[in-house]
Amino acid sequence: MTRRLGCLLLGLSAFLMAQEGHPLTGTWSGDWGPSAAQRTHLTFVMTWDGKKVSGIINPGPNSMPIGDVSIDFSNWTVRIQATGIAAEGRIEDLASVHRSIKGTWKQGAVSGDFRLTRD
Amino acid sequence: MDHSLSELEFLRPSWRALQRVAAVFRRQSGARPRRTEVRRCTLKRAPHWLGVFVLAGVLAQGQSSHSATYDTERHVRLQGPVTRVDWVNPHAFFFIQVGDANWAVEFGEPLVLERQGWNRNSLRVGDVVSIEGNPARGQKKQAYATSVTRSGQRLFTARAEAPARRAEPTPRWPDGKPRLGPAPGKKGYWGSASASALVENVGTPIPMNRDGLLENLADIDRVAPLQPWAKAIYEFRQRNLLKDDPYNRCVPPGGPRQFLMPNGFQFVEQRELGRILILLGGGDRNWRVIYTDGRPQGQASEAVLSYYGNSVGRWDGDTLVVDSVGYNEGFWFTNGGLPHTEALHLVERFSRPNLNTLHYEVTVDDPRAYTRTWTGTWNIAWVPDQEIQEYFCEENAESTFVR
Repeated sequence: MTRRLGCLLLGLSAFLMAQEGHPLTGTWSGDWGPSAAQRTHLTFVMTWDGKKVSGIINPGPNSMPIGDVSIDFSNWTVRIQATGIAAEGRIEDLASVHRSIKGTWKQGAVSGDFRLTRD
Repeated sequence: MDHSLSELEFLRPSWRALQRVAAVFRRQSGARPRRTEVRRCTLKRAPHWLGVFVLAGVLAQGQSSHSATYDTERHVRLQGPVTRVDWVNPHAFFFIQVGDANWAVEFGEPLVLERQGWNRNSLRVGDVVSIEGNPARGQKKQAYATSVTRSGQRLFTARAEAPARRAEPTPRWPDGKPRLGPAPGKKGYWGSASASALVENVGTPIPMNRDGLLENLADIDRVAPLQPWAKAIYEFRQRNLLKDDPYNRCVPPGGPRQFLMPNGFQFVEQRELGRILILLGGGDRNWRVIYTDGRPQGQASEAVLSYYGNSVGRWDGDTLVVDSVGYNEGFWFTNGGLPHTEALHLVERFSRPNLNTLHYEVTVDDPRAYTRTWTGTWNIAWVPDQEIQEYFCEENAESTFVR
């Protein structure tokens, strides 16, 4: 019964939470990699100060500042740059608190895809 | 509602329990569940998940916006006997038999209808009525009545306003300050707003419907001085007919929106405690506190973020001036879907030039969403001799479609 109730609550939570401010603000998690078998975990924390989006990738001892983020509002394409990293993806499910960004990721000489979902 | 009545009847036995669980959980700011937990639920409890998704869908649409539910471009005429009347907040429904089909007809908010002199017995099962209105989007047998006629007599007219009342002087406290509530020994509350959404006070009025849905998207630039991202989000919401409005999921109508809701509100001035309470008729009977004990406003960055913010008020002559910060980003602060951020700072000015009128003015300062500060105003009409009614958002889906 407890587990059943837990399942119910978890299911409902996905529908009932909200974040209605700047679409990139918040904590995002996901991964990137050159193939389905080779994936590297990603955590993004992004904020909007009224003029630009800033933040860090993988908070902790190996964190990296996000250099530049831009959005093309005509198609909700996001371009992210950090040291040695260039990523471009599209915001999907914009109205959901758990919206996501999917696209291409290039880090050094390695290219792949990435997916981030807002927590 | 994309579910047929028969589908929803199947869910009825557990509905109340689920509503209570959902209501509690909705108010938690919970983290996203760990993936392992989700997977376990998904695989081992698939039958329960199915119920969860169906029920969550019902909950999520428990209070859909008018624009998302009804197609105001289409019109329908129906005639038949009444089979049931649901005189419930926030939307009253009756059902009529038209041929082989039973139509659900929404005809306004009970509170508003009662302001016009109607009550739950004005329409009875068996009455043959004719209605004109707007059908629901899709193939549902549901409509919103713009007029209801019985035996040639027009009964209800949706959104009609109460007749104008004679201007009476502002009720005042012994020290001369205006009373924001009723005079001693009287009853009443604040009802209909003269605007349907917050917009900047410049130029000619902007045509929009009761939900704040613009008649012409080209008017977006006239609504408010939006930053590019905020304009894009606002346009996205408008193009989606406001169907993603958090209020539809029973999220509180914080900010100026609380003074746009059809179910009204009430001031309770607790002068001895240095605070004013605002009790909302809609929005799950929410309440808001305005501190008038002289405390300073805190820093927005230090506030516990909330739907109604941290408010301090003072009197400037006959005007109550309220300064608020500390809003979260989990709601739309006006009908129509204008966005805001945690940096939102509101200065509201309330004045009561006579018994029947509350003048509301709000200055919006949110440099993360707007290019400059801007101001909107509207009036709210006093409803004498009545009280705000009980209204719980979660009840709506059940009352109109499941019971």
